[in-house]
Amino acid sequence: MDKKTDVAEKTTPLETEHILTVPALAPLVAYPLEVLVPEVRQQTPAVGQRATRPDGRLHGLGQTKYIDDWYFPGMLFAKIKRAGVASAKIKSIDTSAAEAMPGVVAVITGKDIPCNSFGPSLKDQPVLADTRVFHAGDGVAAVAAVTEQIAAEALDKIKVEYEILTPVLDPLESLKLETPGVHAPNANIYGHKVIKKGDVEKAFAESYQVFEGTYRTQMVEHVPLEPHATIAMWDPNGRVSIYSTLGRITLGRADVARTLGIPMSRIRMIATIVGGNFGGKNEITTEPALALLSKKTGRPVKCTFTRPEEFYASTTRHPLIMDYKSGVTKEGKILGRKIRLVLDGGAYCSWSETTLAKACILSTGPYNIENLYAEAFVVYTNKTMTGAMRGFGVPQVCFAHESHMDEIATALNIDPLDIRLLNAFEEGSLSPTSQKLQSVVVKESLLQAAQRFGWTANGNGKGNGAQS
Amino acid sequence: MRGFELVTARDSRHAVALLAQHSASAKVKVIAGGTDLMADLHFSSHIPDIVVDISRAEDLKHIAVTEEGLSIGALVTHTQIMRSPLIRDMFPALVDAAHTIGAVQTRNLGTLGGNLVTGVPSMDSGPTLVALEAVVSIAGPDGRRQVPLAEFWLGPRKTVLKPDELLAEIIIPKQNLNKPTHFLKFGLRKGQALALVNVASSFRVDWDKNVFVAPRIALGAVAPKVIRALKAEAFLEGRKVTPETMAEAGQVAVGDAKPISDFRASAEYRKDLVAVLTKRTLEGAYELAKAKR
Amino acid sequence: MVTVTINVNGEKRTASVPPETSLLRMLRDNLNLTGAKLGCDVGDCGACTVIVDGKPVNSCLMLAAQADGRDVLTIEGLATADRFHPLQKAFETYGSLQCGFCGPGVLMSAKALLDENPNPSPFEIRDALGGNLCRCTGYSKMIEAIQVAARTMRGEPAEKTA
Repeated sequence: MDKKTDVAEKTTPLETEHILTVPALAPLVAYPLEVLVPEVRQQTPAVGQRATRPDGRLHGLGQTKYIDDWYFPGMLFAKIKRAGVASAKIKSIDTSAAEAMPGVVAVITGKDIPCNSFGPSLKDQPVLADTRVFHAGDGVAAVAAVTEQIAAEALDKIKVEYEILTPVLDPLESLKLETPGVHAPNANIYGHKVIKKGDVEKAFAESYQVFEGTYRTQMVEHVPLEPHATIAMWDPNGRVSIYSTLGRITLGRADVARTLGIPMSRIRMIATIVGGNFGGKNEITTEPALALLSKKTGRPVKCTFTRPEEFYASTTRHPLIMDYKSGVTKEGKILGRKIRLVLDGGAYCSWSETTLAKACILSTGPYNIENLYAEAFVVYTNKTMTGAMRGFGVPQVCFAHESHMDEIATALNIDPLDIRLLNAFEEGSLSPTSQKLQSVVVKESLLQAAQRFGWTANGNGKGNGAQS
Repeated sequence: MRGFELVTARDSRHAVALLAQHSASAKVKVIAGGTDLMADLHFSSHIPDIVVDISRAEDLKHIAVTEEGLSIGALVTHTQIMRSPLIRDMFPALVDAAHTIGAVQTRNLGTLGGNLVTGVPSMDSGPTLVALEAVVSIAGPDGRRQVPLAEFWLGPRKTVLKPDELLAEIIIPKQNLNKPTHFLKFGLRKGQALALVNVASSFRVDWDKNVFVAPRIALGAVAPKVIRALKAEAFLEGRKVTPETMAEAGQVAVGDAKPISDFRASAEYRKDLVAVLTKRTLEGAYELAKAKR
Repeated sequence: MVTVTINVNGEKRTASVPPETSLLRMLRDNLNLTGAKLGCDVGDCGACTVIVDGKPVNSCLMLAAQADGRDVLTIEGLATADRFHPLQKAFETYGSLQCGFCGPGVLMSAKALLDENPNPSPFEIRDALGGNLCRCTGYSKMIEAIQVAARTMRGEPAEKTA
């Protein structure tokens, strides 16, 4: 077969709907003007309908422009020098050799940032580290050059003198009050939450058996196919336009305003189709530094992360260490549950507070438990920043409470499905924080799943309504 | 990455001449498919001064039976190995091994020679060729020299190649043509995975006595280079071909292996894999022997 | 600098690039063909996949100079002025792409597969896509769409009736 045969010759004639009009544009989508406010559990006409994504056409044509696909005349390329050490004092930064390189147009460091701190809640993150390094991915300098290659070479010419400090790497060590503060004089525990209901010790005393287990999850990186990318440029009226892969552009705009010390009205954040976010593009990275490089050079400046930078210089999912203690009846009904969560909060707070809250509230699982004590801590370590990632702490606790449930079921010789049906939320059940739950279909979902997997047909289950 | 000078070789002799010319005074690297070199260079601070592009040397792209045996040019890609009717017929194990390397895109670029010269102990092309007692033909300024493949590597990423030499051909000796061989790789994924352990077993059968003849077993990723499982081979020679002997040979092969523990697997798990994969490759080679009888 | 001429999407294009330039960078930075993406630069993710002389390759691993004189097909060359390639139509209909970043690479791998194997099994499709990573979709709709496109290209009805 001749591989170079034009495809059009080999195919049967396509229907007219396949014919493109030139130029290729996505079809206009009409949005309904009335807003539907559905009743709880009411079937809306949209559910079950197939809808064609409007962006699919340009994606398939390769015409979608992501941030790295934009080029502006005179654009410079920036690279960030990463610390490469987990914890250190910065004694000096010498950028002179880099600045003298042909093709290097500007170099900035932390001292050039008007307000060198930002963050979605705690403002503990620097744009570029100036006196202290808190994790190996910290940026210590930013270079703008005429090619990406020259910018990367210039990083090697920047000389940084570090006084290496002992890093705190184990979150359980960080939890101890005697461990030196990563962000001293601030404590290592920077977030704490307790949920209390009933009397958990009394419940344990009345239990047939008490089970304990410790569960750990690892740090995970989002790995969006598209690395972080930003382009910054100024207009003659002193406004900066920042094109970015950032998801939360209003938040980003506020952070850029804060770090640059300029009003928000002077900042345009332009985002477009993002090549994967999953929570990892929820806060600014190089935007303020690029804005300053652009200001200094008078030219647009672009920076894209390398794939390794995605791993060590962008946010990741919090590792969790989860201690579970459950008191159960002989039939497997949970009478009381006590939980301690320790979140590895990395070098900066980022979205840790949200993660802490969600993990804590949902740590008990979708089960009716009258007596609860769940306590969660998030601690600083000198490791990669931990931030938002799909689920905000819930995937981690789900691993824990479901593993714990399976272990209890095995020990009591109860079918894993039955023990869950016995304890699961129902319509009107109260969440651990006493929210009355509506549209609860936990049991129905479990039973339907069991039927589809052939759970009882394969010899599992002893009843309790499980259908085969 | 930082810049380098690029010179393109017309054929293997020109390539050797370029290496001889430049390697004395500059850091020189050879590029064929680029799947190892380019990946290294994109994040390396050790950029060569000169890169010699040999990808256009048509005289290194053959697959042919010669009077020496089966000769495979160093620039034959993994895809070409998978598709060669000659190799598919004679050595399905080489096809299997090539198929486990990377993905379609890397197999279209990556070459057999490159895989061998990069020299990581977990290389997927190595074990089958070592089990088949392959010999490599090295081209230098004074002509060709041959080295048994098992002696080609000095350690991880180190070969006997001198700076002005080029791996030109891989030859499976005549007496091993059509020898039943089976290869298995165990990685943490089904694609784009490094081998935790890979094994190739090759033997003929004396059908009258039903015993192993010339058994050869090669182990990868369990030593600083691809090694022969000599104890297991000695155990099998002349022994009856039965499932029990094959299983026991697997256990003996564990004694030939010296795996390390790393973040992918423990040494204990790798030893376990050696026993299982040796047994299974022996079984696979036996199936092939029966089919070809 | 080296002068590289490639026959890309049926058009002869020439650029003068530093020798270390990959084919990917030349396509994106010099020829404005930004369809092929930079996802990792080490040949792991497949977002840079283009077809060179009929074979899908990682353009980040090929020197631009090595592509000199060769035929290169990128995503921009898949559709013609008046029709989609059946793969593009099927991907759109079946919602096979979400963020879309892996799309050009996947489509080039899929095209190369169907050009050679007009009736691939689901296993063969997965094998062909083994070098293309996607973080959004889980691949199942891509596999479905590729089967539909294959049927279209064989002249069969798009939906299976049996």
